[in-house]
Amino acid sequence: MHKALWVGKTGLEAQDIALATISNNMANASTTGYKKERAVFEDLIYQVQRQPGAQSTQNTQLPSGLQLGTGVRTVGTQKLFTQGDLNTTEQPLDLAINGRGFFQILLPDGNLAYTRDGTFHLNDEGQIVTASGYLLEPDIQLPEQTSTITIGEDGIVTAVIGNDNQNVIQLGDIEVVDFVNPAGLQAAGKNLFLETAASGPPQVGVPSLDGFGSIIQGALETSNVTIVEEMVDMISTQRSYEMNSKVVSTADQMLGFITQNL
Amino acid sequence: MDRAIYIAMTGAKHNMLAQASHSNNLANATTTGFRADWEQARAMPVFGEYYPSRAFSNTERPATDFNDGPMVETGNELDVAITGDGFFAVQDADGNEGYTRRGDFSVTPVGQLINGSGQPVIGQGGGPIVLPPYEKVEIGEDGTISIRPAGAGPNEMAVIDGLKIVNPDLQNLEKGTDGLFRPVEGEQVLEDDPALRVVSGFVEGSNVNPVHELTNVLALNRQYELQVKMMKTVEEVTRSSEQILRMS
Repeated sequence: MHKALWVGKTGLEAQDIALATISNNMANASTTGYKKERAVFEDLIYQVQRQPGAQSTQNTQLPSGLQLGTGVRTVGTQKLFTQGDLNTTEQPLDLAINGRGFFQILLPDGNLAYTRDGTFHLNDEGQIVTASGYLLEPDIQLPEQTSTITIGEDGIVTAVIGNDNQNVIQLGDIEVVDFVNPAGLQAAGKNLFLETAASGPPQVGVPSLDGFGSIIQGALETSNVTIVEEMVDMISTQRSYEMNSKVVSTADQMLGFITQNL
Repeated sequence: MDRAIYIAMTGAKHNMLAQASHSNNLANATTTGFRADWEQARAMPVFGEYYPSRAFSNTERPATDFNDGPMVETGNELDVAITGDGFFAVQDADGNEGYTRRGDFSVTPVGQLINGSGQPVIGQGGGPIVLPPYEKVEIGEDGTISIRPAGAGPNEMAVIDGLKIVNPDLQNLEKGTDGLFRPVEGEQVLEDDPALRVVSGFVEGSNVNPVHELTNVLALNRQYELQVKMMKTVEEVTRSSEQILRMS
């Protein structure tokens, strides 16, 4: 059948994935701690129809051959971990990491997940949990009668109990972890990421030390999606899709034409 | 039967091959660092006992379009685009060196720098680039990679390696079946050229001109219809000559 038909099809598929990625970015433009994705493409292998440099006769060589490409392939979607803007909220349990690092979250199944979303809450037992109710790791328990809670840049959590300002107790510290290749993390939804072979193992550290980001209390990290950029990408993706679909219909017309006329 | 029908057939067949080439360019209109392929048809006269009055068509890929693609700002510190001439050196599947304009780099868990197709990027030392754990990485204008090691202060930037950027003779460069460029003749491993410049935070898009490709797709479609028309005409000619023979 017609080669161009299949090549055009790979182009349509690629632009389809690109649009899905863009629309997911757009949908999460105001999701706390969301990291944008981009679809990564590569050209598929080339088929040698006629070898360049082959002998066309005993004394002559073909000056150039014919190598036909077989289309495009989506290698994957890559998360881009650039820093989002910090948005001050003045809520004591809203935390942002300024720099590298992730919060550790204990999943209900006992595994750890990682997030940049620092919208924390308290559960009925006074433990710090995410918006989905998952525990922050290591577990921080707030005593009853806590009036103020302070989280330092280095992750140390202190609380003032009751009305007595002298009664300050240290509750524990929030650790952050980092990965060699954060782009290799698997996005698990709910603003959570999971460790993979591509991300490398997590390295636990103290915030503000050894290259880890510092914790900012009373602020949230907004999504790093830039709407203008996504809109421009969307327009060029649509046009590219249209042109590839034109190729498919043209190839189809060619096949149709020969079956009708011969 | 008149051989004209075979001549028209090669025309239609090679129109289809040319179509495949243009559609491959269009499919890769958004592939990072992709270089469009030229396609051309050549007349191949048929020599024999008679006058060489017939010419078959022959589609070829004579070269690749090396014009620059658009610069797309990504803000990603590991994305690098070459401004002007030059190619990045990467390792192909066989461990040999190949050249590409693709600069969407990332690091593997062991710190190896790879491009978007997963090919390890080769440094000025001649081997793949490996980055130690870093807090911040900067790629300079000449391709020098410096990092602030994890835990180090802002005054402790360390130079790790540099991107190997080569400046080959474009006339002597050919795209392989894996999409990487290699010299056709002479030394297969080229020297690093320190004069070439890169810019970090950008990737170079594909240099496919969609209007050019689409126009060609449509023109080839019409040309193909002409070839089919020609075959049809030959058929009619054959039929009329049969009729003449029947009458006599």
